[in-house]
Amino acid sequence: MLKNFVKIAIRNLLRSKGFSLINILGLAVGMASAILILLWIQNEMSYDQFHEKKERIYEAWNKASFDGNLNCWNTTPKVLARTLERDFPEVEQSVRVDWNNDHLFSVAEKRITLKGNQVDSNFFQVFSFPLLKGQVNTVLNDRHNIVLTEKTARKIFGDEEPMGKIIKLDNADNFTVTGIIKDLPNNTRFNFEYLLPWSYLRFKGNDDNEWSNNSTRTYVLLKPGINVEGLQSKLKKLKQKYQPEEPKWEMFVYPIAKWRLYSSFKNGVEDGGRMVFVRLFGIIACFILLIACINFMNLSTARSEKRAKEVGIRKVVGAHKNSLILQFIGESILIAFIAAIIALIIVQLSLSGFNALTDKHLFVPYGNILFWLSGFGFIALTGIIAGSYPAFYLSSFQPVTVLKGTFKKAHALVTPRKILVVLQFTFAIILIICTIIVKQQINYAQSRETGYNKDNLIFHFLTGDLGKNYDLVKNDLLASNAVVSVTKTSAPLTQSWSDGWGQEWEGKDPNDKTDFRRYVADENLVKTIGLTLVKGRDFNLKEYNTDSTAMMINESSLKVFKFKEPLGQLIKDNGRQWHIVGVFKDFILESPYQPTKPMLVYGLKSNWFSVIQMKLNGKNKTAANLKTVETIFKKYNPEYPFEYKFVDEDYAKKFEDEQTTGKLSSIFGVLTIFISCLGLFGLATYMAENRVKEIGIRKVLGASVAHITALLSKDFFILILIAFVIASPISWWFMHNWLMGYPYRTDIEAWVFLLAAALSFLIAFISVSYQSIKAAVANPVKSLRTE
Amino acid sequence: MINLEHIFKWHNTGNNRVFLLKDINLHFDQGEFVSIMGPSGSGKTTLLNIIGMLDDASEGKYDFQGQNIYQIKDKQRSALYKENIGFVFQAYHLIDELTVYENIETPLLYQNIKSAERQAIVADILDRFNIVGKKNLFPSQLSGGQQQLVGIARAIVAKPKLLLADEPTGNLNSKQGQEIMELFQQLNKEDGVTIIQVTHSEKNAEYGQRIIELLDGRIEKK
Repeated sequence: MLKNFVKIAIRNLLRSKGFSLINILGLAVGMASAILILLWIQNEMSYDQFHEKKERIYEAWNKASFDGNLNCWNTTPKVLARTLERDFPEVEQSVRVDWNNDHLFSVAEKRITLKGNQVDSNFFQVFSFPLLKGQVNTVLNDRHNIVLTEKTARKIFGDEEPMGKIIKLDNADNFTVTGIIKDLPNNTRFNFEYLLPWSYLRFKGNDDNEWSNNSTRTYVLLKPGINVEGLQSKLKKLKQKYQPEEPKWEMFVYPIAKWRLYSSFKNGVEDGGRMVFVRLFGIIACFILLIACINFMNLSTARSEKRAKEVGIRKVVGAHKNSLILQFIGESILIAFIAAIIALIIVQLSLSGFNALTDKHLFVPYGNILFWLSGFGFIALTGIIAGSYPAFYLSSFQPVTVLKGTFKKAHALVTPRKILVVLQFTFAIILIICTIIVKQQINYAQSRETGYNKDNLIFHFLTGDLGKNYDLVKNDLLASNAVVSVTKTSAPLTQSWSDGWGQEWEGKDPNDKTDFRRYVADENLVKTIGLTLVKGRDFNLKEYNTDSTAMMINESSLKVFKFKEPLGQLIKDNGRQWHIVGVFKDFILESPYQPTKPMLVYGLKSNWFSVIQMKLNGKNKTAANLKTVETIFKKYNPEYPFEYKFVDEDYAKKFEDEQTTGKLSSIFGVLTIFISCLGLFGLATYMAENRVKEIGIRKVLGASVAHITALLSKDFFILILIAFVIASPISWWFMHNWLMGYPYRTDIEAWVFLLAAALSFLIAFISVSYQSIKAAVANPVKSLRTE
Repeated sequence: MINLEHIFKWHNTGNNRVFLLKDINLHFDQGEFVSIMGPSGSGKTTLLNIIGMLDDASEGKYDFQGQNIYQIKDKQRSALYKENIGFVFQAYHLIDELTVYENIETPLLYQNIKSAERQAIVADILDRFNIVGKKNLFPSQLSGGQQQLVGIARAIVAKPKLLLADEPTGNLNSKQGQEIMELFQQLNKEDGVTIIQVTHSEKNAEYGQRIIELLDGRIEKK
């Protein structure tokens, strides 16, 4: 029986190749999208789930209130880790992981900068990063030990045995390789190429016992069977014990399972985090698959008359309804199976692009049995969903009616299928509108005045000897004529590295806790980056030697200070007095979607510099300028590579998230429209076939081709119109909520909806008109003769 | 074998009730060969469909092998149908996507007969109908007469006791028609299959042992 069914299914597919192609392709595209999204979701859900002790691993967090907001964050004092181990019997171990930093590696003639963390020596006892070589308990015991990943070892030593080799770090200290770990999986929050021991950090004088200095991340391994709630309530009071001046400051531990997807708090309460995205993507995956299934149903039922006779005959020769249902569902599972194979090919082909887009390293786990099992489950489910409607519909045919040859092309059935088309297009139109609005928002934020001039502006971190030789470098740069202005600053122009409150000024409200962005520059900041001065002047150490304690403020700060005459006013901060010499127009330091914050630029005395900003000479070729700069850098900093960045490129990164959102929604939008059009095309074919006789009669009576095309297309336009009416408020609501997350946002304008409507009408017209025109130009003699 | 009492069949169109069959009382014995005749629209096919359980009467009592089929359960009825009734149509109604062999095999599939046994039965029939050479052809590759031969082979492959034929020769020329009728006669006499056929042709009707004439849904003559 099965053989018979498979045979007839395959012969049916081959008989109408066009139809089969549309059907299978639509389903395959839908499945491929769903698979990609599911891979992404699976990756997101599996973050740091491979640690053997994951049930017991937590991260330490703070909860305290500022400016009336209850904030939660996960940087902790360095002293916390040992305190937790000492004060809480529940804690088995605690590990500190310092910031991911660049260090210069020198081995023989090789120079590379690599990213790594400094961690407590018990790191490998808590986290499961398998050591290929070296001892878990002792691998980071000495302050000059280093652990490399396999990839890093290969980068530095090639095929040589890395264990025991010496690496010179930052041109200063020699490290011995004591361990090699497997490369990090693609689903962990950690992102290091090597690990250094915490004792090295202490050796460098960077450790402290300050409870007020939240400066590192602390992880906690609890003992088995601990009551976490009990521990949490004890932790609430931990901070006060050591820092009584912060009475409302609480600490808590946060479980590993929530790190990736939930670590987002609003006013002290979890507010969704990435999980919102994961859910949204899940919904999109379901919808695309559903649309592809709807398509399948639509096209299958459209072809039902061709199968009607077969159903009638099978019933006459003794088939029961159930066996027919089974047959048709079996057929759709077969088609789903073929579609799945094509979908896998599509996934394989598009995976690298998808990875680039989502910044992931996803792969299809072909070796995983679970993957195949769920794959077959997926196929069966798709087949059943897609096949159930045609199966029940087809199997309900009465043989008497069907075989009499007067089988009326059931008009009642058009209605549910029209609903399906409306559903598809609703979804497609929603995606079109969302895509346009996301793009608009990006354009809006991109076109916002940055407040400084990014043209020809490059920066370089003060690596190696650059800080020491800064003055020489600066002189050479200016003398070379490749650079017109140089300024050293505390941070890149696109990031806020420091902020704080507690500054004092004349007339300050004692309750004021305004948080100022702190920035440091030596001189010529206005000139180098092209700020707009509102009052006063730039830092100028040559003409004003007191400028080392000068300060420039932005207009937002001026509003806070409320000075009538800001120039010459004194601001006290960190035990020093700063005098204001200039006020500049706000520039975008952080998010282009957020309002700018009050900002203070401190003078040279601050002595905190990390970056050198350079304005290249616009009259020369950029490549020539860069070459000159490189030569000078190499001269004064020979050990370190020349790694400049363009400020405008750096700034463009601020839009990456939204651009990804935009790209994804446009890709899925196009796919949805594509699948929907296949469905519409199928329905149009069906309708045209259905009305062959009517069209013939109308033509005989004198109707023109245009008239008939319009007649046949009209019905579809009504469907699209309904879809549009449903889709508009839904997408407005979605986009309104999305935009609410951006204080600096575009308005939702009516033309977006009109454009989406026009677009969908056009697309619908193209997919319908082929069939309509074909039907309209057909010779009526033929169609009428068949009756 | 079959007993029809006061069978009525009607359709409601608007407020009007259109009668297709009016008060039909008939009895068929095992082994009979009966022809039903009558002009177009007289209700012949409707009657045949009711006898063949493809359609239900609007009113009346229908006994098949002593069982009132309007009172037994659906399952029993379809079992009764599967085991006892074969259909032959004017338009042959073969499944276009299946070969001759597969078409004939189909009823056996629905009776859960084992593969080896199926092969034997189908081979037997192909042999008997002299169409072994055509078993791998599709219906579209056969002439009308050959297609009808396959249709009959399919109808009797499961050894039904009752063969219902709705103008089996309507699409055939007279020579092909005659061959089909002779085959019917043979089936009736040698295999004891009860045959009820609907026909327009006086000549073909004569093959039956008895002729029932219908007019406007009534029995005109038994």
